[in-house]
Amino acid sequence: MAQGKIYPSAASAVADVPDGAVVMLGGFGTPGLPQGLIKGLLSQGARGLTCISNTCFEPRADEYNVARLVENGQVSKLITTFIGRPAQEVPALDLWRAGVLQVEVMPQGILAERMRAAAAGLGGVFVPNVYGHPLDAGLEKRTLNGVEHVLAPPLRADFALIGAHRGDHLGNLTYRLTQRNYNPAMAAAAAVTVAEVREVVAAGGIDPERVVTPGVYVDRLVLEEPS
Amino acid sequence: MALRVAAELRRGQVVNLGIGLPTLVANYTPPDAGVIFHSENGILGYGPHAAEGEEDLDLINARGEHVTLPPGGAVVSHTDAFAMVRSGRLDVAVLGALQVSEKGDLANWMTPEKGIGSPGGALDMAAGAKRLIVITEHTNGGAPKVLKECSYPLTAAGRVDLIVTDLAVMEVTGDGLLLKEVAPGWSVESVRGLTGAPLRVSDGLKEMDFTLPQHPPVNKVYPSAAEAVADVPDGAVMLMDGFGGLGGMPHYLMLALRDQGAKGLTVVSNTVGIARVSGFGTPPSPDLQAVDHSILVERGQIRKAIATFPVSPSPSRPSAFERAYRRGEVELEVVSQGTLAERLRAGGSGVAAFYTPTGVGTVVAEGKEVREFNGRQHLLEEAIRGDFAFVRAHKADTLGNLVYRGTSRNFNLVMAAAAAVTIAEVDEIVEPGVLDPEAIVTPGIHVRRVVQRPAVFSPFQPIKPIEDNGRG
Amino acid sequence: MAKERMSRDVIAMRVAKELPDGAVVNLGIGIPTLVSNYLPAGSSVVYHSESGVLNYGPLAEEGERDYDLINAGGQFLQWVPGMSFFGSDEAFAMIRGGHVDVTVLGALQVSERGDLANWMLPHRGVGNIGGAMDLAVGAKRVVVAMEHTDRNDRPKLVRDCAFPLTGRRCVSLVVTDLAVIEVAPGGLVLRETAPDWTAQEVQALTGPPLALAPDLKEMEL
Repeated sequence: MAQGKIYPSAASAVADVPDGAVVMLGGFGTPGLPQGLIKGLLSQGARGLTCISNTCFEPRADEYNVARLVENGQVSKLITTFIGRPAQEVPALDLWRAGVLQVEVMPQGILAERMRAAAAGLGGVFVPNVYGHPLDAGLEKRTLNGVEHVLAPPLRADFALIGAHRGDHLGNLTYRLTQRNYNPAMAAAAAVTVAEVREVVAAGGIDPERVVTPGVYVDRLVLEEPS
Repeated sequence: MALRVAAELRRGQVVNLGIGLPTLVANYTPPDAGVIFHSENGILGYGPHAAEGEEDLDLINARGEHVTLPPGGAVVSHTDAFAMVRSGRLDVAVLGALQVSEKGDLANWMTPEKGIGSPGGALDMAAGAKRLIVITEHTNGGAPKVLKECSYPLTAAGRVDLIVTDLAVMEVTGDGLLLKEVAPGWSVESVRGLTGAPLRVSDGLKEMDFTLPQHPPVNKVYPSAAEAVADVPDGAVMLMDGFGGLGGMPHYLMLALRDQGAKGLTVVSNTVGIARVSGFGTPPSPDLQAVDHSILVERGQIRKAIATFPVSPSPSRPSAFERAYRRGEVELEVVSQGTLAERLRAGGSGVAAFYTPTGVGTVVAEGKEVREFNGRQHLLEEAIRGDFAFVRAHKADTLGNLVYRGTSRNFNLVMAAAAAVTIAEVDEIVEPGVLDPEAIVTPGIHVRRVVQRPAVFSPFQPIKPIEDNGRG
Repeated sequence: MAKERMSRDVIAMRVAKELPDGAVVNLGIGIPTLVSNYLPAGSSVVYHSESGVLNYGPLAEEGERDYDLINAGGQFLQWVPGMSFFGSDEAFAMIRGGHVDVTVLGALQVSERGDLANWMLPHRGVGNIGGAMDLAVGAKRVVVAMEHTDRNDRPKLVRDCAFPLTGRRCVSLVVTDLAVIEVAPGGLVLRETAPDWTAQEVQALTGPPLALAPDLKEMEL
């Protein structure tokens, strides 16, 4: 049983992710990647997921990232910025070519800003058009201050699964170095945020000046299993 | 090639290195060169690759390589890393290429035959950087990569400034490519033979020059507030005031601005001189009063205020600003606090405008576009940028990295990123490396000048009659 | 002889019952500030302030002033464990992003549709918007705490607000010195009356008609 925000296992923290859910997965490379939660979601088996993740790389032997969920047939749509270098093949591309997997790619800065717009309760933000054809198809364009902009709509999720360094019982989080990346934006843009941390401390065990993600954004905390 | 690109980088510049060849540039830039490397996953001021066995698994660059974080480095979120790219804080981006054209077009994210590509951060960098350098092999299996037109999907159109290859250095001009340097042992004709676009030859054509530039140190620490604010011109847009209370307010800089005398200023601020007339600035004794914006209003230096809390909470105790407003001497734009914060955040993040649900059906909606999203009406609000920001922080290092104390972060943090020249007033200035990179709230790239408050300084002054300011 | 009305503190006491355990709460300036004094011991309400702090505790002791630790009303707070600090952009992102469960605001006027006017008296010609417009649209529930009538005994609950609006159709509940009134889709519903006050007496001091709740009762504290 969960005690407040503290859940006993990754499995228990992701048990209620339903089929068809929109799930953000934190991390840029391995830092900040919630590997235990992804493992939990693999065993839990929810299908038809829309997954939002910076990259979709083939994982190393002992690594758990979004590609595992894709290969396990749990993902119907992938929103990402990086699906291999131009000449590189990754397994998700085969599924995309076979028409089983929808893939939407967008520049990183736009992805991050769309999450931030959702987190900030905005209807959309006008950012300079960095999209090249064919990425900007369907996006509204407007010239502001003499520069072409696109209207980036907010991007929300039902769940955010993120990795952090330390969490207290109130859900306040700190990250270590580049663990931070997308995680604060995702935590604030999802209805339910689950954080996998290396250390859980008592409420108030984190210096108020050092909290990066305030506890209001975090619903569940799970201790990372030692590797 | 990486060494040649390193020679292009200047002290104090913020530089992003793309995936592939570009990442090597960091290895050829001496640590004391003062170049600040930015990585889109959220680091500023990273150093060379970590030595084998000394890798920190939580510290990678955008390519996933383990790097180091020398003293003065700072950690930010992915969102902030791109906000600073869009808002013009990135001086140089170095990117690899599949193709680059004589018009400065770059293609590096997708080949048409694959049908899908990885935009990553390249499109953002190419669009946001002030200067774009492309580093690439001159040919791919003998086929030129420098062309008249790119046939692959573009990363950016007309943005490339300089192309550095294994054979040559070429500048993109309005009149095509200008060959400036050739690699040792290569002739102009042999380079031309492997280039898919005409090359004009620079009068100063030379063999590739790998000399790393020597630049004097950048000094951000100013000895006094007077010197830090000396160049504020009449009519400047000034971002200043933490929240209203005395904690986040840059009193020392404000007093210096009063003495400097710039006039016709537009002040963007949560409050405009209400500390004196509200509980925010209750003095410890009755013969004192708080230093706030009133000191500038009384001298007739403020022409306009954009504020959320412009007047005293008590009508019977009007502030200097309210009296000036009633005399018709100042203009006022009242905005909602969250919208002011977001407009400043937009200004510092390269967001031109945004839709917010706040204020629909109220006076702030007058004249603004109203639009429905998901069944809810929103107003279109525009970004605010300032010429100068006066920011009050707790500590700074000599690179301008800032930490705040308690609730004194408030508007300071968004203002710091939203001005052309940001001046920080702090209690203490320390050497780089003293502030924990995890705890830095405002990275030094936003801060141009730093001033330490005098050891003996009070945010209160004795009450004295208002002086004749020469307006009469 | 005018009947006795409830004090500002008693209004605050009644509002305190509207704050569920664990809720993230933003208290406006005036009567709302008093609400924190009346939460039961052990309540796990998390206070949010636009000044950029979450989970703050009691006000600082008299004479203790740390200028770097204030709430949105400029009052000094105590340093307590479990707080976190952030900038104004984040403070309002939290509000608009739907992370504030309840806000308690003061009001000059509230309309029968739940329109709120609380930032400017028209005759003054200039006013302070502050954070109220954001809270009005962003908080999941807006509770108004105010006196039932103004200084001249005119109703503050009106058909249409004559004063400049803070937000449209945003108020859910109004707690006054005379009554607890819900803003329902069909208009105002009288749920509770102050001790010794009848529904008719409350109606006489209220602009629009009040429907009576089936379980109308005396205010419980």
